[in-house]
Parts: sequence; structure tokens; C-alpha cells
Amino acid sequence: MAFPLPRGITPPEISFLAEMEMVTILPRQRLEGLELLGGPVEPLLPPRRASLPLWLALLLKRQRRANILPPTWLHPESLSLILEIETQHHEYQHAFSPPPPLPGQPSLRDRGQRPVAVPRYTPDGGRYYPAPPFLPQNVAQDHVPSGEPPSLPFHWLEVGTMLLDAASDDLVDPDQTRRLLKELREVRTAKIRSGVDVLDVASTGGGGVALTGVGAMEVGEGRGFIAGVVDGLRKIGASKEQARREQMAEDMANGGYDATQDDDDDMEF
Amino acid sequence: MYGELGNKLVQHAKRTQSLAHLPPYQTELVRSVAREVRDLDRDVNHLLTPFSGSFDPSQQPAIACALLVDHLCMRRNKRCLLAYHRVRTEKLEELCWTGIDVLEQQAPPAAEDGTQPVASSQSGNHSSLSPEEEEYFRQYSDLLAAYKGQWTDVDLTGALEPPKDLFIDVRVLKDAGEIQTEYGVINLTKNSQLYVRQGDVERLIAQGFLERLS
Amino acid sequence: MSYYDIDSILTDAQKLPCTFELEVPGLGILEGNPGDNIKAGTRIDLPLWLGEMLSIGARLGTSRLVTLDIPSALSERVMNALKADPRTVDLRALAPHFYSLSERVLELFEEEEMVDVLINTFKKRASEIADHAHNPKGALGDGVEFLRGLDETERQLFRVAHDSAKETRIWAGEAKKR
Repeated sequence: MAFPLPRGITPPEISFLAEMEMVTILPRQRLEGLELLGGPVEPLLPPRRASLPLWLALLLKRQRRANILPPTWLHPESLSLILEIETQHHEYQHAFSPPPPLPGQPSLRDRGQRPVAVPRYTPDGGRYYPAPPFLPQNVAQDHVPSGEPPSLPFHWLEVGTMLLDAASDDLVDPDQTRRLLKELREVRTAKIRSGVDVLDVASTGGGGVALTGVGAMEVGEGRGFIAGVVDGLRKIGASKEQARREQMAEDMANGGYDATQDDDDDMEF
Repeated sequence: MYGELGNKLVQHAKRTQSLAHLPPYQTELVRSVAREVRDLDRDVNHLLTPFSGSFDPSQQPAIACALLVDHLCMRRNKRCLLAYHRVRTEKLEELCWTGIDVLEQQAPPAAEDGTQPVASSQSGNHSSLSPEEEEYFRQYSDLLAAYKGQWTDVDLTGALEPPKDLFIDVRVLKDAGEIQTEYGVINLTKNSQLYVRQGDVERLIAQGFLERLS
Repeated sequence: MSYYDIDSILTDAQKLPCTFELEVPGLGILEGNPGDNIKAGTRIDLPLWLGEMLSIGARLGTSRLVTLDIPSALSERVMNALKADPRTVDLRALAPHFYSLSERVLELFEEEEMVDVLINTFKKRASEIADHAHNPKGALGDGVEFLRGLDETERQLFRVAHDSAKETRIWAGEAKKR
């Protein structure tokens, strides 16, 4: 049988993945450490804060055994600042507000500096560069480094919605937060929709469209439509693309091998 | 015009794809398309007879053209027939996976959706499946059951949505007798409310025995 | 373009004007006159699956059976209308599988300008489709007419956009399941 779900991943699946995000809790009861598949959980000793995966934090919250400390970006102040960037800032009229910097990436404050990727090491000594969702983007921070503008993490919509659902009494101003999240979502969805104009670039060989700052749920929601548009454009433009490639092959045959041009040559779509 | 009946069949298949149930099998139409293929084959033989095996297309371009048209029409009809049947078998497999027994169900009344024309040859309480399709459904169900039987702790036809809670509250709508779970036997008597593991009762909710309480 | 793909089969059924280059006995049935011959120079609309194959000889230069023309759905007039305003053209009335048909036609004819017009059309209409698909109340006013004029590719696009928006709303608890 054909797989019954649409292509890509569905909202419940995306939100399931978001439940792996680490959040900060304040336990109200002692709890022994747990050995989970995703790694050990330290013993909970009130009033010491602890970092737990969101799904476990939500479970403890529902059982009234812990309070969740909301991540910095989920404060109404941070959210309205981000909303301002999304709507007012001329650089981001058609783009998304910048995501949290990766480790080693220079923040907006010192732009122009070279990024230095900071590696981490696996228990076996293997080197890797962590990226979302393997970065603690949703834990509470005691002090925010000055000059660092707030930013939406990869799973902002999922984490925000789930915390509003299950732990609204732990948030600073839940109603205001809910309103801001909704507004942010509307502004950004409209941006994704109006992005159709640049998609013909993505449909030709070697082209691409930057999705920097777009969240997991937003990618999931837009996937079907965007892939459909790119596919449609590719099909209509197939004959032109064919001509372009033939021209390129001819140029290459005449002008010798140009190594900078060959990277999209053997790509099959 | 050749191929038009085949086209009708494919349009049927197109409608079938967007329906939840399986509309009646187009026995008459399928038969006519097959008949058209036989006619075309007869035509080919008729065209070739005078040459007694020594036909040279470059000498007789007009005959060659007629033969090509015949051949293309036969090929087209074959494609339409195969695609029509494939859409229907896919639908049957889908029904199997969702646990709907089409053999027990009556064909839904045609009034339910305006798009469905009154079946050409079948009406009333006839099954909407052809005898071959019924056999296919039966054997596919057996195959799926045998496949599922290999795993006792995973329900292959269970919900694909990741659960939010492991345990849920349910109300029993219809008596369903006793079920065996990891945590012992549960007795499902009408109107009782229970707190059970979601995986144990998923099937029963889908079948309408239980109702999930939020 | 799978063999069993229903939309691809239906695309193949769309017609193209063809001119026969020679007299063929017994093919009058294509014109609706079974038993008759078809004369050289006869111009009839044949489905893609037939016309394309018959024209192959002509394209290879071996023998000319039929020559093809651009179908009326992609005529100069339509292209001009699309250039003027892509959104007001009823593509479905022109051809139910308008874009799939154009793809096939563009494989047969070299029409660079047509590619540009169609790409622009597709883009403009796609963003309109996205706007309608995100409206939870469904299309209203002008939208109804626009959506009725979508070709099959666009319809699928609308469905995908509509469904994913709806699934997300259901997840967020803003809409009820089914």
C-alpha cells in the first residue's frame, strides 16, 4: 500500500521531535536519576535546577512534581523585539529574523569577524559540530550576554505552543506570549508564501534558496507547497535547462575544462 | 475513435482516487475495451494477410501507418486497462490496512456523492468488486494478517501519529468483552470508563467500540 | 511519468492538431468515418499518445506520416492573455492538464518565449493559490472563480498547501480534527 501520510513529516511528528529539546526545570520533589536511551538524567534535588528533555519536563509538570523555567526567548519582551525585527527592520522585510548563533559564530554585534566553528567530542573522541536540535537553545539563561539580540530557535513554535499548553502558569505573561507567538507565526507564514517569486532560481541547476532562520514547523508546513512549485517550474523549464546544459557542455569543450563550473554538471534532479 | 473507451476507464480511476470507498467495478466498460483490442488485432491480421509474411514497410508506407495506428491503439488500451485495475487494487490494499472489510460492506448508495454515475451493469445490492478483486482482497488480507502475526508487541496497522500520552481515558460505547493486555485482563462493558494504555485500545477506538475522552 | 500514473495517462489523451502527409486506407475512423480512407493533407486533432508517435518518423526525416502543430490551448492568443494577466485566464477550460500538456509540447517544439511566459504564469498563480489555500474559511468572491480555473497541477498544489496548513492548525489546536 502507498504510504498514507503526505510527503515530509507531519506536525505531530515535528512536535514529537521537538520534545527532545532540553529545558530547565525547578524540581519540587526529589527524584532518582534515570538511565534513558537518550542519555542519563541527573537525580533531581530541589531546589537545584536541572536540564531535562521537554517530554519528561512536561510529564513532571503535569504531575506537579516540577516547574518549568521558560527559555529566554519566550519572554514577551524578547518576542516583541523579534516581532519588531521581522516587521520593521528593513533588512528583514522579506527575510526571517536571524536564528541563534551557532557555537563559534560571531553574534550580530561583532559582524565581520570570521566564524570559528567550535567542535565538540563524542565519548570515543570523535570530533563533531553540533547544530540544532542538539544545541541547548531552550534552556533558561540567568544572564543574557549584552548586545545579543533575542532570536527564535529551530523549534520555537513547537516548544512555545507546548509550554503554553502545559505550563502557562510558569510563563511570565501567558496571554501576551500567546498573542505574540500567533502574530509572529502569521508574519512569517506570509513571508514563506510570498517567497514563491525567488523559487525559479531553486528550480534550475545549481540554484538554491536560503532558508536561514526558518523553524522546523514552518519548514514542515511549507514543504509540500514549495516542493510542488519548484517541481512545476522545473518541468516547465526543462527544455530551456536542457538547452542551457548543452550550451555549457559546448563552451566547456571549446574553452577547456573549467573546474569552477562543474559542480552542478553531474547533479541529477 | 479508438482509445476513447479506455480514456473513460481512466477517468473513472481518477475519480476513484479521491473517493473514500470503492465505486462499482466497470465490467461493461472493461469488456468493451478488451473487445476493441480484439477488433484492432483482427484489423492488423486483415491488413497483413495479402502480404503472406513478406510485408516491407518502406514499400507500403500507408499500410505501415495504418498498422502503427492499430498497434498504438492496442498499446494505449492496455495501459488504460492496467492503470484502472491498479488504482483499484491499491484502494483495496489501503482498505485492508485500515481494517475495513469491503466484503462485508454494502456498496454505498450512489446518492452519497453526485460524481458517481449509476453503475452500468450492476445495481442494487451487488458487490462493487469484481470476483477477481474479491479474491485479491481475501488473499491480501490473509497475507497482511500473516505478516502482522510475526510481531506481537508492534501493531503494524496501528496509528502512525506519535502518541502524546501513553495512557488515556476511554469510555466504552459497545460491549467488547475481555481484552488481554500487558497489565492484565480488562473487561470492556458498555458505559464504563477506564484508564488504559493507548496502544492496547487503538484498534477498538478505530472500530467504534471505545471513545477517547480528553 | 510512471506507466501507471493516471494523470500522465490523461495528459496523453489531450489533443494536438495533426496533418496527415499521405493517404492511409481505413483510417477514416479517426475522423469519425469508419471504413473510409484518410486523405493526404487531412487535418485532425489526435491525442498526444497517437500524434506524437506518428510524427516521430517526420522528425527523424525517414518518412513523414503526420506533422504536428501547437494546440489551441497554447496558441499565440492564449500566450498574450497570460502575458497581460496570468490570474484571469481559465486554464482548466483550455486544457485540464494545461502544464503537463505544455511540458510535452515544449519537448516537441522549440519555443523559448513560451517557456518564459509559462514560468511567469505558474509563479504568479502559485502565490495566489498559496493565499487562497491558507484562508481557513475557504475561497470567497473572485477566489472561487480563480480556483475553478486551476489546471490539474495547480489543483494538486492547492490541495497540498491547504492540507498542510490545516494539519498545522489542527496540531496547534486552532482547528478540529476532520
